Amino acid sequence: MPDEVTLSVNGAQHVVSAAPDTPLLYVLRNELKLTGPRLGCGMAQCGACAVLLDGEEVRACVAPLSYAVGKRVTTIEGLPGVWAEQRGLSPEDVAKTLHPVQQAWIDEQVPQCGYCQSGMMIAAMGLLAKNKNPTVAEIKDAFTNTPPSPHLCRCGTYAAIIDAVQRAAKSMQAGKA
Amino acid sequence: MPAQEPIVPTEPATPFTATLTRRGFVKMGGALFVSIAVPIEIFGSTATANAAASESRTSLDPTQLASWLEIRSENSIVARTGRTETGTGMSAYYAQVIAEELSVRPEAISLILGDTDRTPDGGYSAGFLYGMANVRKVAALTYQALLGLAATQLGVPVSALSVTDGIVSGGGKSISYGQLVQTQQLDLKISVTGKYATVDPSVPDGNGLAGLDGFSVTGDPPMKPVSQYKVIGTSYPVPGIPDKVTGKARWSCDVALPGMLHARMVRPSTLGSTLISVGALDKTKFPTAEVLRKGNLVAVVSPNEWEAVTAAQSVAGTAKWTDWSGLPGSENLEKTLRAHEWGAPSQSKGNADEVAAALASAPKTISATYELPYVRHAPIGPFVAVADVRSDGSVTVWTHSAQSQGLRAQIANTLSVPAEKVVVRWLDHSGQYGRTTFGGDGAEADAAILSQLTGKPVRVQWTLQEDLAWSSVSPAYLLDMKAGLDANGRVIAVHSASYTPHQSDARLLGAILAGMPCSTPRPGSWVATEWPYDKIPRRLEQAYGMPSLGAESAYGGLRGNIMRTPGQRQQNFALEGLLNEAAAAAGVDPIQFRLEHTTDQRLIDILNATAKAAGWESRTAPHHEARKTGTAPVTGRGVSIIVRSNAYWVGIAEIAVVPATGKVQVTKFTIGADCGKVINPRQLGLCMKSGVVMGLSEALKEEVSFDKSKVTSTNWSSYKILTMEEMPDLKIVQISRDDKGFGGGSEAANAVVPPAVAAAFFDATGVHARTLPLNPARVMVLLKG
Repeated sequence: MPDEVTLSVNGAQHVVSAAPDTPLLYVLRNELKLTGPRLGCGMAQCGACAVLLDGEEVRACVAPLSYAVGKRVTTIEGLPGVWAEQRGLSPEDVAKTLHPVQQAWIDEQVPQCGYCQSGMMIAAMGLLAKNKNPTVAEIKDAFTNTPPSPHLCRCGTYAAIIDAVQRAAKSMQAGKA
Repeated sequence: MPAQEPIVPTEPATPFTATLTRRGFVKMGGALFVSIAVPIEIFGSTATANAAASESRTSLDPTQLASWLEIRSENSIVARTGRTETGTGMSAYYAQVIAEELSVRPEAISLILGDTDRTPDGGYSAGFLYGMANVRKVAALTYQALLGLAATQLGVPVSALSVTDGIVSGGGKSISYGQLVQTQQLDLKISVTGKYATVDPSVPDGNGLAGLDGFSVTGDPPMKPVSQYKVIGTSYPVPGIPDKVTGKARWSCDVALPGMLHARMVRPSTLGSTLISVGALDKTKFPTAEVLRKGNLVAVVSPNEWEAVTAAQSVAGTAKWTDWSGLPGSENLEKTLRAHEWGAPSQSKGNADEVAAALASAPKTISATYELPYVRHAPIGPFVAVADVRSDGSVTVWTHSAQSQGLRAQIANTLSVPAEKVVVRWLDHSGQYGRTTFGGDGAEADAAILSQLTGKPVRVQWTLQEDLAWSSVSPAYLLDMKAGLDANGRVIAVHSASYTPHQSDARLLGAILAGMPCSTPRPGSWVATEWPYDKIPRRLEQAYGMPSLGAESAYGGLRGNIMRTPGQRQQNFALEGLLNEAAAAAGVDPIQFRLEHTTDQRLIDILNATAKAAGWESRTAPHHEARKTGTAPVTGRGVSIIVRSNAYWVGIAEIAVVPATGKVQVTKFTIGADCGKVINPRQLGLCMKSGVVMGLSEALKEEVSFDKSKVTSTNWSSYKILTMEEMPDLKIVQISRDDKGFGGGSEAANAVVPPAVAAAFFDATGVHARTLPLNPARVMVLLKG
C-alpha cells in the first residue's frame, strides 16, 4: 500500500505517495517528473538509471524507495545545483549554471542516441568525487568494474566519455564549468 | 528497393524565372502555422494533448515549398523532414546543409523531424544522403526565390546581390530574409516524386511495405559551389545534445497523457506457444490493475507503473501456454543452414560460366567457408510506445521508430483504419541500429491494440528480457567463398555464395500475437557488396535466402530484420577474409595485395593514409613468431576495407591473443574513411570511433543463443556487448574531397572491423578465423583444430 514519505531530491524536499518497495526510478520519473534517469535493463546491469545517493552511485531501477528515504538523491537535473553549492553560487545562478561534467559532455559532443548518458554522467560524478584527475586506465576501470555492473553504451561512445571525464576533471580543478 | 511511382505529378518547378506571389499562411492551412508556433505539450499536460494531436490528421503537401521550409519574421527558419535523428548527428548535418544553401547560420534553423502530420516527405531515417538531397534542393530553391524577392524590393538585379547570415545586400541597401517574407510564406510549387508508405502485400522485396522511400524532390536547382562552403566542413554541434545532458530532453519514454494506463506485456512461454489460460489477478494485491487479452496478446495495465510491473510478473507466473519447440538450437545452427535446400539464389551478379572456367583453369584456388552467428540490435533502452485510439477512430502514436510513415501504414493496417486517421509523433529514444528502418518491430502495435481495448491512452514499456527475446534479429550467415589465383598470385576470379535466413520481417509483434492484420514478409536475400576490386576480372556473387528459423510458428520464429550495414557487413566479412587468405597464399603483404587489385584512387589513397597512420610495416601474414600455444600473449595485425554509399573505409586491427586462455584483446584500431566532402569532421570522427566499438563488439562478443523453444541470451550477462575497458586505443584518419559529392559517413564503420580482427588473429596465430565471435571458447576450438 502506498505510504507518504519525504524524499530529498536535488536539494528540495518532496512528499511522495508510493509503496515502499517501488524502485526509486519509478518515483523519480512518474511522481517527480525527473526523467533524466531512464529504464534500461531493470536489473542493475547497464547503468542507464543511475542516480547519486549521498554522492554514491546507485541503480535506481532496483533501489527501493525506502532505501532512499533520509538520503540526498541527485539526478542529472540536480547537477547544476551541486556545482553551485560547491562554488557558493546564488540560487539564481543555478538556472544559468551547468556542472563541469555536463559542460564537458556538451563540449565533447558525447551523446549519440544519448539514452545511457545520464547514467554515464552520474558515474563520472562518482569517479571524480574519489579521483580528481583520473587516467584513461582509471576511467576505463571505473566505468567497467565498479559494482554492480559496467556502464554500457550501445552506440559506442566510450572514447568520447573518456575525453569528457578528463575535460571535466580539468574544469573542476580550475573551478569553472 | 522497388522503383517509385510518382503519384503526385507536378509541373517541373521553374522558380528561377517565375514571378513569386505571396499569400497569407492561412490560405495554406492556418493549423500548420499554429501547430509550430505553439509547441505541443504532451508531457503531463492535462488540457492540450488530445486537442493538439487531433488538430491535423494528414501529412503536409510535399509539393508546397513552405511544407518543407518556413522563414519566420525574426529570421529563424523551420525545416521539416519525416526522417529522424538516429544518434549519428543527422540533425546537425541537415541544419548545416540547409544553412549552406541559404547562406544563413545553422543556429537559425530548427528542425521538425519524423512527425507524420508535421512533415512532408517520409523516407528512411538512415537514408541521410537522400534526405539531405531533398532538403538541400528545397533550400536552394528557397534561396533563389528569396533573391528574386530581394531584387524587387531593393531595386537591384539579382546578379548584384550577396547574402550573409540571411541578410541580402546590394546597391548599398540590405534586407533580411525575415523582412522579405514578413509573416507570410513563399508560395512556390516544387516538383516531387514518390508516395507515402503503405502496407502492400504485392511488394516483392521482402518487407511487405511500399513507399518507404517517401518523396524525393526532383530537378537540379543551382547549388552553392563547394569552394564557397562556410558551414559544411565545420564541426557544428548536434542541436539536441544540451537538452540530453541537462535532463530537459523529452524522450518517447517520457510521454505521459491524462488518464494514461501503464502496460507490461506477458509474452508466451516460447516463440511459438499459444495461450491456454491467463489465470486470475489477485485484486487484493493489485487493486487497480487489469489483465487484457486479445488472441495471444496478454498484458496487464494499471494507472500505476510499478503496479503494472508487479502484476504482470504475477500473471506471467500463472498463465498457461502450449509447448512449442520448432528451433534447431544455436549449437546446431551451421548444420541446420547447411542442410536447408536453398534452391535458386534470390540474387545473382556476374557470369557463372566465365567464373567457373576461370576457377577451373587457375593454377591455384582457395576455398573457405565463413560463418556468422545471429546478432541483434540490442539498444540500452528497450522498446516503448504510447498510443491513443479514440472513439472517433483517430489514432495518435508516440514512437521512436526510424520510419514514421512506415509505422503509420502498419498501425493503420493493423487497426483497419485509413492512414489519414493515424498520426505518428516521433521523439528521441535509444538507438535503433536498423531494427525500425522498415516501420516495424517495436511496442507500437501493443500500445495501439491495448488503447483500442481500453478506450484510454496506453503506454507500453518492454523489458530488456522481452526485448532480447522477442524483438527481431539479424540472422546468421553461411558464406562459401572461392578465389582463383594466377601464376603471379593475382586473383583472377571470385565466386561468393551467401546463405541466410530472412532479414526483412517488418511486422509488429503485438499485431502478430493478437492475430490482427500485418505486413507480409517475403523471404529472400540480396547481394549487398559494393565491389572494390576492379582488377579482379571475373566474379560471381550469389545470395540465397530462406524463411526465418522457426517461421512455421504462429509468430514467425526468429524474425529476421536488417541491422547496421545489412547484408554487406556479413558478405564483406567473407570477401575480406578471402582476400586476406589469398594475400597470404600469394606471399604478399595484405595492404599491397589490395593495392594490386584496384585502380580506384580513392581506395588507394585511404589505404595508404590509414596504413601510414597505423605505422604499418610491409610483410606477409602470418607473423614469423605466430603460434597457437602458450601462456604468453602473441600479437598480430590485420587489415580490411569496405566500400559503401560513395565512401571508402579501411580498418587496421592490432591484437594480442593468449593461446592458453583463448583471450583476444584488441590493443589498437586505426580506422580511415573517405566519404567525399566531409560535412562535420568532429561528428564523423565520433561516429568512426563509436562504429569501431560496435564492430569490435560483434567481432569478439556478440551471439544470440537459443534452444529449441526460445532465445536464451536475454540479459547483458548472456548477450554480451563491448565494455569500456575492452575498447582499444583508437586512431582515425579522414580524407575529405571536394569533387566527389557526399558519402555515407557512419554506417560502415562497424562492418570494417571484424574482418580486420580476424586477419590479425591469423597473423598472430597462423590460424584463419572464419567464424565469429572470437570469444575464448571459440578461440580455444580454433587453436586446437
